[in-house]
Amino acid sequence: MPLIRKGGDAPAPTGGDEPAGKLRSTSPDERWAAARALSGRPEALASLTAALATEQDPRVREALLTGLARIGTPQGAAAIVPLIRSDDASLRTGAIDALRVMPAAALAGPLDSLLSDPETDVRILACDLARALPAPQATRLLCGLLAREPEANVCAAAADVLAECGEPDALPALAACAERFVQVPFLVFALRVAGDRIRAQTPVQDG
Amino acid sequence: MAEASSKRVLVVDDASLVRLYYRDALERAGYQVDEALNGLEALEKLHAAPADLLIVDVNMPQMDGFTFLKVLRRQALPVAAIPALVISTEAGAQDREAARQAGGNFYLVKPVSQETLVEYAAMFCGAAP
Amino acid sequence: MADAQPVTEEELRRLSEFLYRRTGMIFTETKRYYVQRRITDRMEATGATSFASYFARLRSDAAGEVEQFINAFTVNETYFYREDHQLRCLTQDLLAERVERRPRDRAIRIWSVPCSTGEEPYSIALWLLENWAQVDAYDIEIVGSDIDTRALKAASEGVFGKRALMRLSPELIGRYFEELGDEQWRILDDIRGSVRFTAANLVETAETRPHGQFDVIFCRNVLIYFDDASRRVAAENLYENLAPGGFICLGHTESMSRISPLFEVRRFDDAIVYQRPRAAHG
Ligand SMILES: C[S@@+](CC[C@H](N)C(=O)[O-])C[C@H]1O[C@@H](n2cnc3c(N)ncnc32)[C@H](O)[C@@H]1O
Repeated sequence: MPLIRKGGDAPAPTGGDEPAGKLRSTSPDERWAAARALSGRPEALASLTAALATEQDPRVREALLTGLARIGTPQGAAAIVPLIRSDDASLRTGAIDALRVMPAAALAGPLDSLLSDPETDVRILACDLARALPAPQATRLLCGLLAREPEANVCAAAADVLAECGEPDALPALAACAERFVQVPFLVFALRVAGDRIRAQTPVQDG
Repeated sequence: MAEASSKRVLVVDDASLVRLYYRDALERAGYQVDEALNGLEALEKLHAAPADLLIVDVNMPQMDGFTFLKVLRRQALPVAAIPALVISTEAGAQDREAARQAGGNFYLVKPVSQETLVEYAAMFCGAAP
Repeated sequence: MADAQPVTEEELRRLSEFLYRRTGMIFTETKRYYVQRRITDRMEATGATSFASYFARLRSDAAGEVEQFINAFTVNETYFYREDHQLRCLTQDLLAERVERRPRDRAIRIWSVPCSTGEEPYSIALWLLENWAQVDAYDIEIVGSDIDTRALKAASEGVFGKRALMRLSPELIGRYFEELGDEQWRILDDIRGSVRFTAANLVETAETRPHGQFDVIFCRNVLIYFDDASRRVAAENLYENLAPGGFICLGHTESMSRISPLFEVRRFDDAIVYQRPRAAHG
């Protein structure tokens, strides 16, 4: 019988001491292990944040971002938020994905200011974060944005989220936005589809 | 009408309304359209069925468009050579350069109209039959 | 008493988009009637009076509705030789790659997590014995783990009913099972002894890590139920439990593209599987 009988010992786990120091190791494996050992620990906020600023290995970065996200506090979120401005697309993606797994309460603060950030791309990414909110809250935030937003691409990002979870009171904001952007066919299309989806969901009043 | 013999376009974008808008235009122009929400799903889709053209966004969850193109271009498979049109919101010169370095064949800035999209699709993989 | 309102086309689109974004599952037009029926069933089961209220419940995953919903569309029941194309891939391609340049005395390690009541890890054992020419050349360790200790107890008892065996031929059943009567079969002690069962929660690193590194992990039909945060942690745990170059197989409705960028996609004749990169990092 070639299949091993039970009782075979698994290889011993690899433990690491003083993980904070190991975050600066030259071995990616050690940095990965250190990031995981510190994952979600509030006292590790500063070391994880510092490591993230210089980490080049995409997988170690993932682990560092998970580590910060699991702290689950507004401080954890605040450590990640600056990275969505990075020039490096994969770091932006990593940061936004990490924020997406954070509790809504930790995001409420940053989200408000991100939605009015001077950078277009930050506002676009922020719209997508609003997807995690309960529908009424997402609707309110995104309708506020639609009313003031000068960039078609940001409005489109908001429309995408509203198409999923917008409530009927979003309809006037969608219509007003479409009027402002009649010359942008894609946005007119996106706003119309979002509106259609919301209308289809309005409960019929008469029996 | 999409026919069995028509060219296939894979649209890679995390925004559902963008995918819908592109699909609508491309299908009416006779292309077969497949969708992926991010770079990883695009790689999975391409492994299952190749395409004649990729339309790729940049910021997407799990794997961004540049990383996707880099991974794709270094595969030792025919899919590695599929032309890619990068369509993103970033208008800076460094974004065009990043797209080119990642292996994008052309860069357009969003929002792109359906007419423009179809024009470029025809330019990169020929008009649909 | 009003009938549950039929779900409109736009509502269906909303829901399909939500599900696609979260899992990668796609409802094709041809399945529309079936999908509508399932949604109506779930609305009734949860007492939702409108699609809007049901969808809100689903989006917030209130009372584990995501799991209930996914269950309404997938087979939650485990059975022998489920998704056997992956088993074929295991013996045709994955193991060949894993044993390349490997000393004969280094055991091959395979992990079925979650293993539920044992059908999956036992299937792996049977499949290897039946289909892998090199099965006698290597020591092979199969571990089955689950969070549910009652399921594990049943797994180690190794007694199965007719439904669990439906995909096995009478010859296979005759060769590896002992009939207990009453439509019950017990897997032979030799096979039973070749799978080690342990309790493990996939999102608890302290529970996954001691299992060590595997050549192949079957992690089927569980990550799809997890929320984004748990998936992320589970993926990191699984990454550590894979040897560099090791493979991970997910369930057929699951896609790593919704879970984690840590792994690389590999396409083989019979399956798409994910791989921990061989070069440590980069
Ligand atoms: C649908 S079964 C899948 C069984 C088998 N892999 C298959 O595909 O047929 C899901 C199993 O996941 C287990 N499970 C749920 N959460 C888990 C967790 N956090 N860690 C480990 N197992 C878990 C459940 O106990 C259940 O047995």
